[in-house]
Amino acid sequence: MGNIRIIGPRSSGKTTYLAALAYLPKASGEKSYFKIEPVGEDAKKLAAEAENIICLSESLTPTGVRTKDIFSLPVYQFTIDVKLPLRQPERIDLVVRDYPGEIFDELEAGNIDEVHQAFMQDCFMSDVEGCLILLSKWEEGSDRFYKRVFNQFLELMDNEGRGSNLRIAIAMSKCERGELWPGRIEPEVDLFGLHLPDTKALLESRIPAKNLAFFAVSTFGVLRRDDPRPNRTDEMGYDGKVSVLRQPKIWQPYGMMAPLYWLNSGKRIKHNV
Amino acid sequence: MGVIYIGDRYAGKTHLALELANPVHECVKVLSPGYNDLKSILCDPATGSTNPTSVMQPRQIDIQVRLPAGAGKVLVDWIDTPGEMWRLKWQQDNPLLWQQFLDVIKQSEGIMLVLSPYGEMIGANGNPDDFPTFQQWYKRFERWVEFFRAYCPNLRHLLICLNKADLFCDVKQESARLAYNTDSYMMNWHQRHNYILDHYFRPVKPQLEQLNRSINGLSVRCFITTIYDRSLLEIPWIYLGSFLSN
Ligand SMILES: Nc1nc2c(ncn2[C@@H]2O[C@H](COP(=O)(O)OP(=O)(O)OP(=O)(O)O)[C@@H](O)[C@H]2O)c(=O)[nH]1
Ligand SMILES: Nc1nc2c(ncn2[C@@H]2O[C@H](COP(=O)(O)OP(=O)(O)O)[C@@H](O)[C@H]2O)c(=O)[nH]1
Ligand SMILES: [Mg+2]
Repeated sequence: MGNIRIIGPRSSGKTTYLAALAYLPKASGEKSYFKIEPVGEDAKKLAAEAENIICLSESLTPTGVRTKDIFSLPVYQFTIDVKLPLRQPERIDLVVRDYPGEIFDELEAGNIDEVHQAFMQDCFMSDVEGCLILLSKWEEGSDRFYKRVFNQFLELMDNEGRGSNLRIAIAMSKCERGELWPGRIEPEVDLFGLHLPDTKALLESRIPAKNLAFFAVSTFGVLRRDDPRPNRTDEMGYDGKVSVLRQPKIWQPYGMMAPLYWLNSGKRIKHNV
Repeated sequence: MGVIYIGDRYAGKTHLALELANPVHECVKVLSPGYNDLKSILCDPATGSTNPTSVMQPRQIDIQVRLPAGAGKVLVDWIDTPGEMWRLKWQQDNPLLWQQFLDVIKQSEGIMLVLSPYGEMIGANGNPDDFPTFQQWYKRFERWVEFFRAYCPNLRHLLICLNKADLFCDVKQESARLAYNTDSYMMNWHQRHNYILDHYFRPVKPQLEQLNRSINGLSVRCFITTIYDRSLLEIPWIYLGSFLSN
């Protein structure tokens, strides 16, 4: 149960998202409906990285530039106990493979090499229940870029026989950004419909409605419920601004669980958990 | 997944390592070799000063770093790169050693490079004549950059330590400013790096930018170190430990 892949372009926030998942149970206490427990070496190492790196306002090392084959990619495992109000307790055994973003970027060019071909096949294996796709760009030109990528992606998905039996969660990541934050409540309309209309139309035309859902996620989140300033600070890197976590002590991601829960059960929950 | 401690002769690697092994420590502890072992290997008992190291004499240091999530270990290979090594003649005369060196370098994900300061930046505590001139230093720096670009495709973390900070800055003040502290009102890694970059690495900023861009996934970070300040001494190792310990 819960075999899920995460893909998205470089630097879209995939590994940081998983690191938050691994670390936050320790940090955020009991109040959530979800009790997450990292299982195994890889997930525990990732939790430590969250504490040692992200909480000190640094970025994680990009995944994968060194990756030679899928077996050298870490597999993160979690057990998630879900206790939603008025519902039976549920348990999700989540197994997530985090791919390097370069694969996604190669999809655009249309000529993926052998190694990356293998990654994509792994992504569409028959026991994979769903795919979480994190996108972080919304500016001019992004819609065209994503559309080209998804054209390739959907074709591979069909070729592997998963065209109509794989859940696809499309999430706008880093949505604490001022321009995106107001769109978080209706991401399908106010984020994807507004900024990435062609990509959205393409996905809707090729994936059965029951297998497609749109989300808004921010791993860093905002400062407080009543203080929507981003819990993020922008520092200078060599290539311009780099966003890092600002106040680790009050770290509360936005919308992290909703896509996972949907991928696993097909059921939607409140958008902000 | 190698971590390498490297630098030209007289940059101060031996003294830094020895001082790092001093049992009085904050977050970074040398597990092996022990302080006295290290001292006896490295020091000439007659003069009390360190022996110059022969080329490629392999050494390992085993380091433990106390991090917010607990202790992490880093195993470091130590390589001295005396000037003659960069000459084509030396490389041709010692093909095996050179190849061995390149093999280690190629694999490495983390490199800590120790640099000497240049004469023009030396204050009243030192003698500028004991150091390379800015021109020489600058040339040498460019050569390092070229070298990393040519031979280190897997490099993810490059830490550049400008050593002997006691000779070119107010150590107490800089140490307090740059201290590693997990409280969010202190400097974070980016701010620390940008501060050091602007104050001590300004002339080679373009080279650093170019290097950072030319190796996919690389992050270059600058530090100042000295054996006379425990905190400045430990900071690069803490950074290294945060990313490359297990
Ligand atoms: N503003 C903002 N930035 C974020 C968020 N999550 C991650 N980032 C930043 O995005 C950058 C990339 O994050 P990663 O998690 O390494 O991205 P990735 O998708 O795993 O990238 P690859 O491994 O290269 O494919 C880092 O600088 C993070 O600090 C977020 O919620 N908001
Ligand atoms: N002022 C000062 N001198 C240092 C420092 N570290 C090393 N040195 C001096 O630099 C010289 C070379 O040091 P050594 O450790 O042998 O360099 P190595 O060849 O890189 O191992 C010695 O004379 C040391 O006393 C430092 O932090 N400050
Ligand atoms: Mg990643």
